[in-house]
Amino acid sequence: MATATAAKKKMVRINGCVAAAQAAKYADVDVIAAYPIRPYTATMMALAQMVANGELDAEYIVADSEHSQLSISHGASSCGARVFTGSSGVGVQFAYELYSPISGSRMPVQMMIADRTLDPPGDFGSEHTDALSTRDMGWLMGWSCDAQEAFDNHLMAYRIGEDPRVLLPQMVCQDGFFVSHITSDVELPDSGQVKEFLPPYKHPYPLDPRHPVSHGPQIMPEQGPPLQLERARAMEDSMAVIEEVHDEFAKIFGRRYDPWVEEFMTDGADVVFFLQGAHAVTARFAIQHMRDKGLKVGLVRLRTIRPYPTDRVKEVLSKFKVVGVIETNMGLGGVSSGGVLYGEVCAALYESDRRPLVLSFMAGMGGEAIVLKEFYWMAERMLDAQKRGKIEKRTHWVGFEE
Amino acid sequence: MSTKGTHIPERLKIPFAGITPAPTQEKGQDLFPTGNWRSIRPVYRDKLPPCNNACGTNEKIQGYLDLVKRGKYLDAYALIKEDMPFPSVTGRVCYHPCEQACNRGKYDEAISIRAVERFLGDLGQALKRDVVKAGKSNGKKVAVVGSGPAGHSAAYQLARLGYGVTILEKSPKAGGLNRGGIPDWVLPQDVLEREIKRLVELGITIRTNVEVGKDVSWDDLKKDYDAVVLAVGLTEPNSVRAEGENKDGVLYGLPFLRDIGMGTSKVKLGARVAVIGGGNTAIDCAREALRQGAVEVTMITVEGNREEMPASPEDLHDMLEEGVELMHGHAVTAVLGNGKVETLQLHPARFSGAINASPITVNREVPAEQFHVDHVIIAVGQHASLAWLPAEFKTERGTIKIDRFGRLGDTNFFAAGDIVQLGSGQPLMVVNAVGDGKRVAFNLDKVMRGESLEPRTIPIDVIFDLNRMNMTYFPHFPRVHQTLLPPASRRKTQQEVIQAFTEEQAVEEAGRCFSCGTCNACDNCYLVCPEPCIARPARSNGLYKILVDYCKGCRVCIEECPTGCLEGVPELDFDTGVVRMDTAFAISPGLHGRQAEELRHLGERAAKNI
Repeated sequence: MATATAAKKKMVRINGCVAAAQAAKYADVDVIAAYPIRPYTATMMALAQMVANGELDAEYIVADSEHSQLSISHGASSCGARVFTGSSGVGVQFAYELYSPISGSRMPVQMMIADRTLDPPGDFGSEHTDALSTRDMGWLMGWSCDAQEAFDNHLMAYRIGEDPRVLLPQMVCQDGFFVSHITSDVELPDSGQVKEFLPPYKHPYPLDPRHPVSHGPQIMPEQGPPLQLERARAMEDSMAVIEEVHDEFAKIFGRRYDPWVEEFMTDGADVVFFLQGAHAVTARFAIQHMRDKGLKVGLVRLRTIRPYPTDRVKEVLSKFKVVGVIETNMGLGGVSSGGVLYGEVCAALYESDRRPLVLSFMAGMGGEAIVLKEFYWMAERMLDAQKRGKIEKRTHWVGFEE
Repeated sequence: MSTKGTHIPERLKIPFAGITPAPTQEKGQDLFPTGNWRSIRPVYRDKLPPCNNACGTNEKIQGYLDLVKRGKYLDAYALIKEDMPFPSVTGRVCYHPCEQACNRGKYDEAISIRAVERFLGDLGQALKRDVVKAGKSNGKKVAVVGSGPAGHSAAYQLARLGYGVTILEKSPKAGGLNRGGIPDWVLPQDVLEREIKRLVELGITIRTNVEVGKDVSWDDLKKDYDAVVLAVGLTEPNSVRAEGENKDGVLYGLPFLRDIGMGTSKVKLGARVAVIGGGNTAIDCAREALRQGAVEVTMITVEGNREEMPASPEDLHDMLEEGVELMHGHAVTAVLGNGKVETLQLHPARFSGAINASPITVNREVPAEQFHVDHVIIAVGQHASLAWLPAEFKTERGTIKIDRFGRLGDTNFFAAGDIVQLGSGQPLMVVNAVGDGKRVAFNLDKVMRGESLEPRTIPIDVIFDLNRMNMTYFPHFPRVHQTLLPPASRRKTQQEVIQAFTEEQAVEEAGRCFSCGTCNACDNCYLVCPEPCIARPARSNGLYKILVDYCKGCRVCIEECPTGCLEGVPELDFDTGVVRMDTAFAISPGLHGRQAEELRHLGERAAKNI
């Protein structure tokens, strides 16, 4: 087992990449599988320094590709190591083969994602499509909106994924640049607190020459479904664990997050934005300005998309008249002809007695910032729909319409 | 919650995430029988190695080389004895067609099979009791006429089959050509003596000085025995039909050697000796002549060069080393001299057709050459003496007429060896005579038991093509050579020329065998199987087992089999031990049936629930 240097609680000013690296250090990871790609690279640079400086005793393996990164992670986790890896954009895609095997063999690998738009062309701005394209591969997944939350999510994800009731890999996502490269104040905990919160990783059947076992053997077609069912159960069973862990995190570290959704100024709101990740920060300012004008606008930020909190989303969003989903992802030819989040929202609301109208906004694409006036424009579309009691147009490409 | 209320039926309960004991552990593969994915099944199908195929008596050569390699000398000896009564003899005298056929010869150098055979033969000679036992007596009596290689072999096999065998030998000592045709410095008398003793130990009666046609008649044989094997050989030397051939000092090859072998020779050779003939007997005569006191020995052949000579290249080489001169392209047209040979008259000559059985064209238009000699030894083949044989069983070429099973008509008489093989295209070799004797013994047994004689119908698959093996597993490695006595010293002694292998040499040489097409338990399949689906209950030949419930037919073992004995056979060729795609679901019995049942009652049930 690697041993991180003991540290006292302190405030530091770091960006999201370094926050993720710090979290890996505090989690005392055993194996780090690295391969560079913007914007997540800075995380691996920070970890390389920590290992080089002796702050962290871990195997730091530079892979020859993302596919190898994830293969290394799979193998290392199978042997009982706590593993940290990460990627961005097309790098996430290149490792695609490994996502199902890792979750199927129930290896709690952790992968940091700093989002990047997929090619073409070589746009390096943040867009969630990279990670979201893997959303059904059996990985726990959620977005942070700032560096502190990123740090906290990484620690919590290890605790959740390694819980014997769960044993699933985790994608801990943050927007490229908006979180990964913007510096903010982050409270780093006392290492004793982390020790209390995160027990050492222990897989029930690690690869060990003294007790040979077979991981991922070939099976008969009829033997597949029970395994899939068990993976589905693990994903569902993780929901209770996620709630427990968030409670315990709050107790130990003093920061309390709703595990599923953050509601911001939703009291008395008629229309709400529904989004994931960094644009929530801008949204909060926009909402405050609109509230000052007397407009009943609020924000619901999804913190965990896998497992998807269907009932919670239904319960929360049913309170409002209009929901504006800000996608920040591509779902070409999909249910809304826009992003994939719209479908998830609508499906959750389908069984509601009080279904709000749902609009889909294609905003923040390609890593563009969603500026305040775009939030106002979107709010106008939502209020208009509220007034009419129906929607004229389901999906809007923000910035490209009058 | 989609998984609420779900349960996994007992028969499908599997360990966490399908993690199972490793395939190498107990029950490591029980969970996932993946054999139904297979379209090709690996099957161990031993082919006939070319050496076994080429051997006149089909010795299991690959088999005994493999046993020698493993240090199982006694097992190897027992194996060779199945087909060969006297490996100590053939280990010395055989012209080893096996080595000519050896695939290793196409790669670097052929295996020195004969030397390993001699190693085993000598081991057998040293045994107090032979490993071979006589069969349980069936009360039937068989006479074997002649105790040369064919008679010896037939008698040996018949004794093993339970027959009461009597060998009738016209000479004072048993052995036939083995004794009378092979010099001591190739085959020491005591070696042959011990092999003949082994026959007696098997319960065989040997009656010497009994000649068919003189001491025993055809009718006697018919009356006194249930069956007879005629292995009388070719006893009469051919003449060169030269004028004056009846002069003193004219000797014939086989009688010359035979008299020395029997110890009855009264010949004292002069200084200059000519040997007429280009075959192996001629070579033996030339080399023997040196040992009998000749100073200059010249071999005169009709063949125009060495390559045409129907002789073993090794023996030819050793003869030349000993100082025998060669004179090609000449025939003796007259033996000149006053009562005793003094000069040979030679004319240029050549074979006008194929070697061995063709007329000789002599050019008498050029002046004759005179070649001074003290003795001449004529060694141009032999023919039979069959005055005692009923005419109906004689062929035009003076041999015994047999069917393809070696039987004389529908009688209980069989014939084997040179007496039937002369002119058949089969080279007249000891090993061929042994094989003939063996086959005739088995055919005789079938006739005695009232079984019908059927020719072999299954085609034999002999590996001649190195591409059918995986040659990457065979590094080049030179042949282990037997040591020879130095030519200068050996040409005057009766000491054995070719020296035996040491144990280490025999093992090293046996280890070079490719084991062409035949499993030699190298463990490669066992090691390369990625699953593994190959069981190895015991490390000996043919005992690997493909676990057909799990083998997916990936072909790795087949491709990586060094010997080429593993073959991929289409799964559809099998009707047992298979999990086919169409029966795959039978692993969970009745699954499909149950579904069908549910489907039939679907409507009623839905209604009831309402």
